Amino acid sequence: MKRTVLDYALKIRLPLTLFVIALSFILTFYISRPERDSVGYAPEQPIKFSHKLHAGQMAIDCQYCHIGVSKERHAIIPSVNICMNCHTVARKDRPEIIKLTKYYEENKPVPWKRIHKVPEYAYFNHSVHVNKQIDCVSCHGDVKQMDIISQVKPFTMTACLDCHRNPHEKIPYLQKVNKGPENCSACHR
Amino acid sequence: MSDLTNKSGKKEFWKSLNDYNDDPGMQKKREDEFLENVTEEFNSENLSGISRRKFLALLAASTAVTATACSDYRDKGEIIPYNKRPEEVFPGVANYYASTCDRCASACGILIKTREGRPIKVDGNPDHPVNQGKICAKGQADIMSLYDPNRLRQPLKLRSEISWKKADEEIIAALNESVSQNKEIALITEGVTSPTAKKVLDDFKKRYATAKIYSHKLVNDESRKNAWLKSYGTKEYPTVKFDKAKIILALDSDFLGNEGNYLQNIRMFTSKREVVGKTDFNRLYCAEGRMSATGMMADYRFRVAPDQQLDFVFSLMNELNKMNPGLISDSLLKNKISDKSIYKFGDKEKLNHLLNDLNTNRGASIIYAGDTLPEEVHVAVNFLNEMLGNKTLYDYTRTIKSLIDETPSEDFSKLASSMKNGNVGVVIHFDSNPVYTLANEFGYEAALRKVKTVVSLTEEENESSAAGIYSLPVNHPFESWGDANVYRGIYSLRQPVIAPIFNTRQKESVLLAWISGSADSYNEDIYHQYLIKNFEESVFNNKNTLSDSKTFWYSALHDGMVQSDESAAESKFNPAALASVESKNNPVGYVVHLTESYFVGDGKFANNGWLQETPHPVSKVTWDNYAALSPALAQKLSVEMNDLVEVEVKGKRIIIPVLVQPGVEDRTINIELGYGRTVIGEAGKNVGVNANVLMHLGSASYILSGASLKKSSGNHLLASTQEHHSLDDAFVKEIHRTRKIIQEGTVEKYKKEPGFLHEEKENLFSITTDHQYTGNKWAMAIDLNKCVSCGACVTSCNVENNIPVVGKDQVEKGREMQWMRIDRYYSGTPEDPIVSNQPMLCQHCDNAPCENVCPVNATNHSPDGLNQMVYNRCVGTRYCSNNCPYKVRRFNFFNFRDHFADAYYENDLTSMANNPEVTVRSRGVMEKCTFCVQRIMEARSNAIRDGKTVSGSDIVTACQQACPATAITFGDANDPSSPIAKLREHNLSYHVLETTNVKPNVTYIAKLRNTHSEEIV
Repeated sequence: MKRTVLDYALKIRLPLTLFVIALSFILTFYISRPERDSVGYAPEQPIKFSHKLHAGQMAIDCQYCHIGVSKERHAIIPSVNICMNCHTVARKDRPEIIKLTKYYEENKPVPWKRIHKVPEYAYFNHSVHVNKQIDCVSCHGDVKQMDIISQVKPFTMTACLDCHRNPHEKIPYLQKVNKGPENCSACHR
Repeated sequence: MSDLTNKSGKKEFWKSLNDYNDDPGMQKKREDEFLENVTEEFNSENLSGISRRKFLALLAASTAVTATACSDYRDKGEIIPYNKRPEEVFPGVANYYASTCDRCASACGILIKTREGRPIKVDGNPDHPVNQGKICAKGQADIMSLYDPNRLRQPLKLRSEISWKKADEEIIAALNESVSQNKEIALITEGVTSPTAKKVLDDFKKRYATAKIYSHKLVNDESRKNAWLKSYGTKEYPTVKFDKAKIILALDSDFLGNEGNYLQNIRMFTSKREVVGKTDFNRLYCAEGRMSATGMMADYRFRVAPDQQLDFVFSLMNELNKMNPGLISDSLLKNKISDKSIYKFGDKEKLNHLLNDLNTNRGASIIYAGDTLPEEVHVAVNFLNEMLGNKTLYDYTRTIKSLIDETPSEDFSKLASSMKNGNVGVVIHFDSNPVYTLANEFGYEAALRKVKTVVSLTEEENESSAAGIYSLPVNHPFESWGDANVYRGIYSLRQPVIAPIFNTRQKESVLLAWISGSADSYNEDIYHQYLIKNFEESVFNNKNTLSDSKTFWYSALHDGMVQSDESAAESKFNPAALASVESKNNPVGYVVHLTESYFVGDGKFANNGWLQETPHPVSKVTWDNYAALSPALAQKLSVEMNDLVEVEVKGKRIIIPVLVQPGVEDRTINIELGYGRTVIGEAGKNVGVNANVLMHLGSASYILSGASLKKSSGNHLLASTQEHHSLDDAFVKEIHRTRKIIQEGTVEKYKKEPGFLHEEKENLFSITTDHQYTGNKWAMAIDLNKCVSCGACVTSCNVENNIPVVGKDQVEKGREMQWMRIDRYYSGTPEDPIVSNQPMLCQHCDNAPCENVCPVNATNHSPDGLNQMVYNRCVGTRYCSNNCPYKVRRFNFFNFRDHFADAYYENDLTSMANNPEVTVRSRGVMEKCTFCVQRIMEARSNAIRDGKTVSGSDIVTACQQACPATAITFGDANDPSSPIAKLREHNLSYHVLETTNVKPNVTYIAKLRNTHSEEIV
């Protein structure tokens, strides 16, 4: 009698339980994958700015606003005075622009929600990539089609290395492209 | 059973007495695994309703549900851009501003690196003709003082807050009252280098008729100035062209350590220690009582007590006159020196070398006396240089001006007594700390209590402000406007690089408001405008320039200075100066030599952790001062390192720990000033012993003869870094030579056989395959001929790489975090040691032993030859450090950001000093020199932007940038035209511990000593 109970516990009940736990973890892992990688992250912004309108329809160059991108590490979120280059005149009556003007006049920065982020211990450099003619779309997706900006690709180390290792496959539009550096101190220091 | 019993049949091991006595119950217990009836009370019905199966099912389900349901996007915070971005600021790109350092009388030109409006690094201004792009450790670490959490944040009256306006009103009323009652207003400053500040002080004197200006610096060059006045009729003395000198005799002078503008001295001195393409060496003789940084560099060193220096100079004169009869014509002087013989001062052969060298190199040698020596020695030295025709080495285009004289001690005595008599209405400490710096004999602190209004303009509460009424916070130099004119022909400007962090004001502005007589007249810009006006009047109008004054001002501000070709008039030596110079030839007791601390200066930097923790250039002691005694004296007193001794001079005594310092003269006790501050921030409080109390009135206050010394009870642990990470082994003498850690030769030998270093070839084989470097290969070379162990590289590295201060208790345990250290080795005898210095940092070995042992591959090799350290991978096994033959890896035993002296770092301010391009490491992580990889990556990014390939000349590491001797070269070893590639092939190049075949990428250039023989003596 004692023996059979022990057998049942070891041979059936334990594996079954472990299976249920493992399955739930695996399911959770895959289901929550995009969330953990932030793919699809599109928080509400303080001003409903549309990249589709500005970059898409009006075809304003990315670098008109993101001035740092070819010069240095950061792309730079534009300061309010860049917006006001146009909006002191353009669409002054729209509620979102009134909000923007208010920020400008009160001399307050706009607290934009951050979408794309690499961890603090990784030192990503925009200018190196842009000056090698890598298109913004390759990492940020087709921003020109986005009314609300969201992250479309994971910003994990795997994603970085994927491209660094197989540049011809990942960025086929560049004819002459070298492999990116794979050594640690290229990004970590 | 049988092996458990002993001879008497009893067990050797037993569990209890029952066991020992073979109780039958024990036997039964041994056989049954469980006792009987153990489950009797167990009843399944009493258990809770949830079965185990149900529990597990619920657990699994809830895990799955919570994991799925709760997984949501992580909030990534906000990005706050500027509202109106200043045109010159790009987030992520550094801006550099030229300015002028305000921390000592040298007023070096600096470049301040700011990121997003936040100063993070100081380097020398490359255009400045004196310091030429270099800045000392103190200047480097000044960043920490800007973000010092202990800075005074508000104006205080009797330790409670007061508004600026109210304070100004009350002080102006007190000033007016003093004038009307004909009471003195004493303003005490610590020297003035700024002509405009001098003008403000003059205006103040004009406005308030009873005002008097006093100036006092703890360590000053007043005896040199006074001697120059006596000898040549002016206090404006020339600098010395050390780069033209073939023979240098330093008399208790630390001209390569902390005297005068030592950055310029080091540059000039080491320009004659160049081994690439030439061996045109100068020869340095030192005669000193202590062991100074300059003494370590000497080719020949004599041990002469500081109170014997005049005798030494007289005997030199006598011997040289004997060699060249007629050199001295003055019969009076001849009589004075006729009985002086030099041979009591050391080895006859060495002294003969000195005499012959001085005699044969007349006009190309210089005798240089130290700042701490009394006036008469300086007069005698001036004459000796005159006699040998060495005047040609004086640089009259770079004379040192004296804007304000040191107040004679009689005047301070008078001040103290009139303060006591109530004849002083107001005392203003103009960024000075006389309670600490003035000798006790004045009774200044007690006198201060008799004064109704005592105002201290200061960055941080100090001894003087604590004894006063008002403590008014002033701006840090990086928040201030200013100018300086120290060298003739160089007028430098200081500009603010950050808005005042606290409610502070520029000290000159405060005075200007008082001068105007109304508290409302103050505005932020008041001194700025005053400066521009004065600049226009005194600089622009004297300069023949086509540009308008505004353009000229901005271009001067951009450059940091205005230069003009001026030259001081040479004047004739006045022989009458020598008349009063008499030597007192009866040394009694011991002699205390008080010298300025190398890193905390005159106590001003005592609250700067980086400087407190920079090891002393000679002894490598941190966080303390001590009495340095010769080994013979220590033996005589039967004291050892860390024992406390009592030093007494004329009834004044201190108790201080001993450091047995090889090379110190047997009567000399060397103690550093600048320690023992009592009213200061947390880091500097009660660090070391205040030796100022030994000083007395009158001249020669740094050299105190007739001292007595006795052993005191107890001891005090000195935290020295030399025994840690040491390549040296105490039980094997001179292992640094036998293991070829230090390789040296002499100039004579090198001239004869240039390849003497590599005579023995060792067959080395590698058990691993070599790395292939096809692109760049970063490498460094350190020229040991040039290194003077000044420590600028160490501090520069600290600032650049966010290296934390760990505090004294951690240094004692060998946990200091500096990535770079300067090892010091002695050879020869303890009395007369030969000293070798060697900067040691990660060698970035090709076959790095640390890489093989890391279980998580957190340290590995990059294709450009860097030994990389990945912090986020490191799990802290410390195997790498264990396997490193150079002991250059540092482990974060704590989160030093919050541990240092009970969380000194845990404030909003100190972290502002961090370099945003370098990770701040946390507990449990190994770290080490990265060859400034952030600078390499910046150069790479710039090269890609400009469509070029990155070259070694684009990269300057922090240590290389700081080195005033240019001993450090960095670059691409694969580029055959680069200086580094040539140095790696140099005949004198070697690697430390070459036989381990780890193939280091730091090449050392062996030191040559310029002695008269082929052997090192």
